[in-house]
Amino acid sequence: MWSYEKKLQYPVKIKNPNPKLAQIIISQLGGPDGELAASMRYLNQRYAMPYDEITGILTDVGTEELAHLEMVAAILYQLTRNLSEADIKAGGFDTYFVDHTTGIYPIAASGVPMDMKYVGIKGDLLADLHEDLAAEQKARVTYDNILRLTDDPDVRDPIKFLREREIVHYQRFGDALRIAQDHMESRNFYAMNPSFDKATNCLN
Amino acid sequence: MENNTGKAMLCKLRALDFSLYETVLYLDAYPHDGDALAYYHKLLEQRKSLMEEYESSFGPITPMGNTCTGEWKWIKSPWPWEYDAN
Repeated sequence: MWSYEKKLQYPVKIKNPNPKLAQIIISQLGGPDGELAASMRYLNQRYAMPYDEITGILTDVGTEELAHLEMVAAILYQLTRNLSEADIKAGGFDTYFVDHTTGIYPIAASGVPMDMKYVGIKGDLLADLHEDLAAEQKARVTYDNILRLTDDPDVRDPIKFLREREIVHYQRFGDALRIAQDHMESRNFYAMNPSFDKATNCLN
Repeated sequence: MENNTGKAMLCKLRALDFSLYETVLYLDAYPHDGDALAYYHKLLEQRKSLMEEYESSFGPITPMGNTCTGEWKWIKSPWPWEYDAN
């Protein structure tokens, strides 16, 4: 089970609200490579993982993604505080506002709500770990793109932290892939799927 | 959870945590209820010692509870969803 810690992993302190920017950053909440998709991807993949190191990595990275979900939400919350009706219209925030006011609702920047279709869980060790490596790179690119679109240092600071974590997670999933392959038939990694063919783990 | 003592202790911890969590939910709604707050502290004391005893004998419950300095026991099977863990 989980328990909540009443602190952000890294502080978010944004002086100037900016609803237009919030509408872009919201993709890292509910978009295809966002933190909600990330946490659901890893925390649900881990049940089929046959090696303890990889189960541990998925559990702990998946848990950290929930902390990142909270950080992104904190950024959105602060970017959309104290808005006047004029701010809402001028920032193009009105299309979000009409449905959600300033509540935090996981959607992509394009307005498409969060969808588990963004999440791959194949129940195959190699397929799932490659999915995770790609996911971390895609999230890193999204943060790069966000950094291209804002020069507010208060926003850039936590976004840079989140971007760095994508790179660290990519490294850990690289370790996971190496650990997996060390357990597998080196002449044919596809001879079996250790996530399913547990009876044939004698190859270890 | 290597043996029955571990499972019995886990069962006790789970029951205690459930009572604590129920109290937490109640206190969220009634933060000024002194009786509930006293009950919370009584349970919390019991939890602290039981957690310590469990983690030092059977391995960590949270990643910050690795009491063994010679080994990273956090990732050791069985994981909680496995048949053998319950």
